[in-house]
Amino acid sequence: MIMQALMDKIRETPSRYIISVLIILFILLPFLTPYTALASEMLIFALFAMAYDIVLGYSGMLSFGHAAFFGLGAYGTGIMLVHLKAPLFIAMVVGVTLSFIAAWPVGYLSIRRRGIYFAMVTLAFAQMLYFIAFKWTALTGGDDGLQRIPRPSIGPIAIESELSLYYFILIFVVASMLLGLRIVNSPFGKTLQAMRENENRARSIGFNIFRFKLFAFVISALFSGLAGCFYALLLNYVPLGSMHWATSGEVVMMTIVGGMGTLFGPMLGAIAVVLLRDIIGSYTESWNLIMGILFMAAVLSFRRGILGSLRERLQGS
Amino acid sequence: MSQYLITQLLNGLIVGSLYILLSMGLTIIFGMLGIVNFAHGALYMLGAYAAYTVVGVLSGNFLIAILVVPLAIGLIGALLETTLLRRLYRVEPFYNLLLTFGLMLVIQDAVRIGYGPEGEPFNIPGALLGAVNLGITYYPKYRLFIFAITVLCSVGLILFLERTKVGAIIRAGTEDSDMVDALGIDIGKVFTFVFGIGAALAGLAGVLAAPIQNVEPAMGMNFLVETFVVVVIGGMGSIIGSIIAGLIIGETLTIGVLIWPPMATTLIYIFMAFILLIRPRGLFGRAEFLD
Repeated sequence: MIMQALMDKIRETPSRYIISVLIILFILLPFLTPYTALASEMLIFALFAMAYDIVLGYSGMLSFGHAAFFGLGAYGTGIMLVHLKAPLFIAMVVGVTLSFIAAWPVGYLSIRRRGIYFAMVTLAFAQMLYFIAFKWTALTGGDDGLQRIPRPSIGPIAIESELSLYYFILIFVVASMLLGLRIVNSPFGKTLQAMRENENRARSIGFNIFRFKLFAFVISALFSGLAGCFYALLLNYVPLGSMHWATSGEVVMMTIVGGMGTLFGPMLGAIAVVLLRDIIGSYTESWNLIMGILFMAAVLSFRRGILGSLRERLQGS
Repeated sequence: MSQYLITQLLNGLIVGSLYILLSMGLTIIFGMLGIVNFAHGALYMLGAYAAYTVVGVLSGNFLIAILVVPLAIGLIGALLETTLLRRLYRVEPFYNLLLTFGLMLVIQDAVRIGYGPEGEPFNIPGALLGAVNLGITYYPKYRLFIFAITVLCSVGLILFLERTKVGAIIRAGTEDSDMVDALGIDIGKVFTFVFGIGAALAGLAGVLAAPIQNVEPAMGMNFLVETFVVVVIGGMGSIIGSIIAGLIIGETLTIGVLIWPPMATTLIYIFMAFILLIRPRGLFGRAEFLD
């Protein structure tokens, strides 16, 4: 017990440092990257990966369908802006709500299957949503993606320029980070981790496992949807690929590389993967080949990830 | 109209056959090794490309492709198991799933680089061209051939598992692999063998599908997701479940096209949702695999 409390103490303290370091890094990021849009993309995927870690790292559920929630957020926002000329704020609320609503039935059905079954079922439902987006051309633009999404101002705040959009996104990302940290350190978050470690024990204490997992899933989908909203704004269009299983795979990879179960590690993983994708993308089209090799290498010999390894080293000394 | 309906029902049987071949492989691998093979679709695609290489590039006989390609894919599978998957049996099972996911990306992109992103032409072999009069309708000979091979493989696999000594070891290993290991049987070899068989079945499905489906790098993963639906409905680890669910999904897809073409694919996911609601373990699944 005392050992455990001590371990928790050690584990928690760095989070506060890490969050400060990360925020400073994020503020400076647009000046460190070759072009601003790349920084925004890093930020968006960092948010997505953080959201994903709530499911994979903290609840131990390997979802292979998170691209669906990311994509729903993007499509929801985009459709409101393109077809209904809605104000930005309302469009974003609709996008996030869409992910949130879809996550309930998907989570409700998937969580009935534990372990690796969960991966298959979430992947299948995501594929279904992908197909709907693909076929419903009138609404989504189908294979061409949803084109010509405007970036309307919110009152006096204009987000036309890349830099202003970046800092607009950053406000939400920092708020999400604080909220995320609050969630994983709350009794709710601790229960999730207890379930991940030993589900039967958590159940025998009297926790409703199903409900906790479902809440974690829905919260994660909500943040994923928010990341999707920004993706639509950044690109000024929603590629159909944002809902593809490859996107789900990418967020898994970012989370593993960054260090799952560390909340902020996956954000570093996202920055690394997006940067790599950008660099490799300028040389070759074979990004998937490189990603596959990295995936295998990470799974075989880097399972703790960046932040996980870093923490282990800190704890060891 | 009724003849059209019969043709569609038969088409469902053929699509179902391919699902059966893939899902039987997935299911025995899962039962034995406890992993979901995300590279299964890539092996299927590799089978189709290997058939294209044998027939289209080397102008060999289709019969040779049917005999040689599954063997080659099976060997590749066995090699992957011994060199890669084996390293991760001691950690949480989802790492192996992620490993096979990475493997799938590599295989898929390697084929895309080697053969190009466009599909490859593949004609139905001459001896199997034409249609057969079934009494009620004419039906393409080649499609009936697919069905016959699938029946042969399904019966063969069931007999092999139920009637042979190696089959008994595999069934015992599915129950408790540590116990089988403790009894002095080299379980590692059995794992390799089972993975090889699963891969060979995927390769065979790829060869059979090559003349009737577009041979392209992405063909595997799309098909795999639908095969996942099959095993979730049939119940992981059950051969009979794979066969019955494979047929159900094949028919659902082809009949769905008659009812509402754009959403035919959506129907199978709705069906899966329905099964998850009323029977989470699947039609023939065992409760302990839920963990």
